Amino acid sequence: MRLKQLPLPDPGQPDLRSPMRYLTWIARGQAMLLAWGTVNGIVWMMSTAAVPAALGAGVQDAASGDQRGAWQASAVLLALGLISAIAGLLRHRAAVTNWITASSRTQQLVVRKAADLGGQLGRTVATGEVVAVTSSDVEKIGSAFDVFARFAGAVVAFFAVAIVLMRSSSLLGGIVIIGVPILGLAVGPMLKPLERRESAQRKRLGRATELAADTVAGLRVLRGIGGEELFISRFQEASQDVRTAAVEVARLRSLLAAMQVALPGLFVGAVVWVGAHLVQSGVLNVGQLVAFYGYSAFMLLPLRTFMEAAERWTKAYVAASRVIRVLSLERDDVDFTRGSIIANPTAATLRDPLSGLVVSPGLFTAIVCAEQVTADEIAIRLAGLGPDGANVTIDDVRLGDLPRPTLRSYILTQDKDPVLLSGTLRELLDVPRSGAVSVEDAIETASAFDVLDALIDASPDTSEPMDARVTERGRSLSGGQRQRLALTRSLVTDPPILILDEPTSAVDAHTETRIAAGLRSSRQGRTTVVLTSSPLVLDQADQVVLVLDARVVAVGKHRELLANDPRYRAVVTREEVPSA
Amino acid sequence: MKPPEDPIAASTLTGTSLPIAGEATLKRYVRALLHRHRRTFALVISLHSVSSIAALVGPVVLGALVEELSGGSASISIDAAAILFLTALLIQTVFTRITRLRAGILGEEVLADLREDFLKRAVSLPTGVIERAGTGDLVSRVTTDIDRLTHAVRDAVPEITISLVSAVFVGGALIVTAPELALTWLLAVPPILISSRWYFKRAPQSYRAESATYAAVSSSVAETVDAGQTIELYQLAQSRINVTNARIKRWVSWERYTLWLRCWWFPAIEAGYVLPVVGVLAWGSWLVARDDISLGQLTTGLLLTQMLIEPVDLVLMWYDELQVGQASLARLVGVQEVPDPITDPDLRPTDDRLIVEGVRFGYRSGRDVLHGIDLDVAPGERLALVGPSGAGKSTLGRLMAGIYAPRTGSITMGGAELAQMPAEQVRTQVALVNQEHHVFVGTLRDNLLLARPDADDTRLLAALDSVDATPWVETLSDGLDTVVGSGGHGLAPGQSQQLALARLILADPHTLVLDEATSLLDPRAARHLERSLNAVLKGRTVIAIAHRLHTAYDADRIAVIDGGRITELGSHDELVAANGPYAALWRSWRDAD
Repeated sequence: MRLKQLPLPDPGQPDLRSPMRYLTWIARGQAMLLAWGTVNGIVWMMSTAAVPAALGAGVQDAASGDQRGAWQASAVLLALGLISAIAGLLRHRAAVTNWITASSRTQQLVVRKAADLGGQLGRTVATGEVVAVTSSDVEKIGSAFDVFARFAGAVVAFFAVAIVLMRSSSLLGGIVIIGVPILGLAVGPMLKPLERRESAQRKRLGRATELAADTVAGLRVLRGIGGEELFISRFQEASQDVRTAAVEVARLRSLLAAMQVALPGLFVGAVVWVGAHLVQSGVLNVGQLVAFYGYSAFMLLPLRTFMEAAERWTKAYVAASRVIRVLSLERDDVDFTRGSIIANPTAATLRDPLSGLVVSPGLFTAIVCAEQVTADEIAIRLAGLGPDGANVTIDDVRLGDLPRPTLRSYILTQDKDPVLLSGTLRELLDVPRSGAVSVEDAIETASAFDVLDALIDASPDTSEPMDARVTERGRSLSGGQRQRLALTRSLVTDPPILILDEPTSAVDAHTETRIAAGLRSSRQGRTTVVLTSSPLVLDQADQVVLVLDARVVAVGKHRELLANDPRYRAVVTREEVPSA
Repeated sequence: MKPPEDPIAASTLTGTSLPIAGEATLKRYVRALLHRHRRTFALVISLHSVSSIAALVGPVVLGALVEELSGGSASISIDAAAILFLTALLIQTVFTRITRLRAGILGEEVLADLREDFLKRAVSLPTGVIERAGTGDLVSRVTTDIDRLTHAVRDAVPEITISLVSAVFVGGALIVTAPELALTWLLAVPPILISSRWYFKRAPQSYRAESATYAAVSSSVAETVDAGQTIELYQLAQSRINVTNARIKRWVSWERYTLWLRCWWFPAIEAGYVLPVVGVLAWGSWLVARDDISLGQLTTGLLLTQMLIEPVDLVLMWYDELQVGQASLARLVGVQEVPDPITDPDLRPTDDRLIVEGVRFGYRSGRDVLHGIDLDVAPGERLALVGPSGAGKSTLGRLMAGIYAPRTGSITMGGAELAQMPAEQVRTQVALVNQEHHVFVGTLRDNLLLARPDADDTRLLAALDSVDATPWVETLSDGLDTVVGSGGHGLAPGQSQQLALARLILADPHTLVLDEATSLLDPRAARHLERSLNAVLKGRTVIAIAHRLHTAYDADRIAVIDGGRITELGSHDELVAANGPYAALWRSWRDAD
């Protein structure tokens, strides 16, 4: 496994039966790399652990006047340093690679699942939960594998040092073996309250940041209407709250820092004190005393590694349980294997039994609904979605009986709130398409040329419109510009049947007239349905359908209906609906 | 090795017109900050000096013990050494606690000052600057940069300061113990200095690129989740996977680059740490053999040399965090450098007449959007601006609301130039409501009070009623106390727009510019709302930018704007009679009448 090979062409099928099994599945995928990291972790930690021995030997040689020995000890020290540097480097490379491999693989699995679930995802779990998985849980899983090699090295080094000490003096060995865990456990009771205060502090900082971001985001309103003082004082309060909470954290942190001076100090002091007495009674020599001083200081490193590993693994376990919850979601409405196909979708008639709507092939049909909600429901139903979507028929075949990709290739529904995905304009318009409609033609039909100018203005690094960047959800554009860009995207796909829900509601009358005429001529011979109440669009339709109380009540041409049907006139000229 | 594409460089290019502080300004600012807190800062340094000195007792005592035990000149008993060590440990512990606490409190004070200073300046920025730069840059400064700075001030600054003080004392102790041995640290200087200079030249920017590209991976997944239905309808599943994979690839390429940087730097500084220790042992043992130094001095020297590694390492490890913090500080302080336009706070209009004369204006030099506009709006008149997208309607609206100054020509309210008035004065005269309908995080009441801080609930509810908001406001369980905005009770776009209009009614300026102020409501509701508004706004001057023709129909006069010019101007009946483009449009809209 090498970083260069990421992302994997196929992240594979994970084991989702439990968090532990998921983590094991990830580990199996990078077993060689974990093993390589472990070997280097052990060599690195051991070469660091051996430094006190070399130092002690050197001091002892100096004490006994053995100059050769002292130089040999220096050479050993140098060698240990080199080994430690090289093994440490290899361990670090392996750890980072392990981290990234585990993270990116999980990220790939999550995005594959999200893309597969589509609109259903938002209906089954809070989207915020999935976003939390991708922004923080993925990293936590990665970091569990990062610490693995160091942990292995720490275990080996801990026991190795303990054995060395035991062999010189069982008393000293005992002090170390009992003392190190006590050091670890002693700070334990402080960690929970510290975490609590830190999270309280983070929450307040989050709130202050949110207030500040919110204030700044609404700055146009504040500067235009007033209220700056109100918002400054509100922020100052929040900011001082953060300060108070952070000082509480600092109190505990400083206590912890003091303990981390006192406890290891006592430990090292105890080892040296016992050691010094042993030297006095002739059991040890001074070189060993110096070495033991070094060992006891070194032992803090495995100790810290144990604690870090425990923390990371706990977090990774919790993160993995959230990840598998998302990855275990399944579509409830699709059967990709079963399904019929119809001969010619362009010539097919669409029927919605619930409203009684019939869409004839090849025509430009406009649907006028008294209520916006009804229009949105019909649009979604015609996409085969929602509670009754499966019962809509295309040439007498239920949409629910069509394989999903087939259905999508027949019918494209542009819903009321089409999302513009961030990226360059070229990427935005890179959708599955028939190829018959060029991007230029689609832009022309949607009257979107001025949108290109707006995009260019916001992207100083390019003058080629297709390279201009669209921000997430097209936030930098106005409502009308967003609608026209969404329409361009729908036109480029050029489906046999195109359903548009209020595609031009935020577009000005001049432009809307142009779009309606363009839509009519560019979709000639293909089925187009527009849900709208704008007379400018209705006037272009081959056939207008009026829906009241969710049922079709009249069908005809715009002018006929306007002249003959008072209910129709009431809806499209936007006067109050007569109470009758 | 370095990835070709630098996301940071690209993003700093895009539309940032807010300044970033230069080195001189930054230095001045930091110096002023230090000066403001100089007493506490000096106190922290002195406190830490005490614990640094106490920390030296361990190695010195062990050296003396070794000397004693190896039968040299006896100076100290084991128990006396133990008591000395314990006393020093106690002092070190107590002073560590006090130092860390004081440093923490100081850091938090500095941080609170920084964020509050920044916000105060941000909310007083000239409106034109905000319009032009967009709020995105400011939001990212207030979130990301303050966050980074918090890390730097909370961790990097104290760690580096404390480590430097420690290093000075350990180094000093080494020189006092055996100056000859201290020279071995010269061995460490070349590898550490050369590699670190090389590393720090590349590291901060690369780590930022790394985290930006990582954020892009997460946001690609988040966007996939957010756009679920669109992805399904347009069959974009595979394309989203490809986009995410491409972003993973880009992120990994930066991870590889930073890993590569560390692969050179880590071994070099490790070598830097090992060489002095080896040097002290080899040379020190020789000096002991020649009786130049004692065995105790050698032991103490060895221990001090090892002890010096930690503070040096901490300084190096925290240094890039400090660099990141410095870059963020430059962006925060930079906002202070935005010049305020020269305005005349005493300028007062004599009446409510709005006159536009020969106005030309463009966002970029050499590209005018408006080419000579003349308009005379009488007090109480209702003027509609219509025309195709991109014709300059919204731009003209902003100019008439005093947000921008015209490039040539003038816009005056009662004889006084709008551009010369401070924002606080302009908004008592004229206010703009557009599609951007920000709902602030807070109660519904707070959202209204900003327009009129002294209004009571009756007045707030009346304002909501006049924009047809009563039906949904009544369904809120906490009424005016309902928390709205992001994270609170979500308002539909149409409801937010009604809220914006209610604010406008409370603010009560005599002239209003409505830029498609009802476009987010469904068409029927919009029609109804406009009627209710008409009743409330009677007697006020209204300039309505409309994309629906019925708004134009309701107006006293209509200005048709096309290509940055007024092409038709007159009442609805006049324009229909003139049989121009407006008349054609009107007929296609209402041809059955």
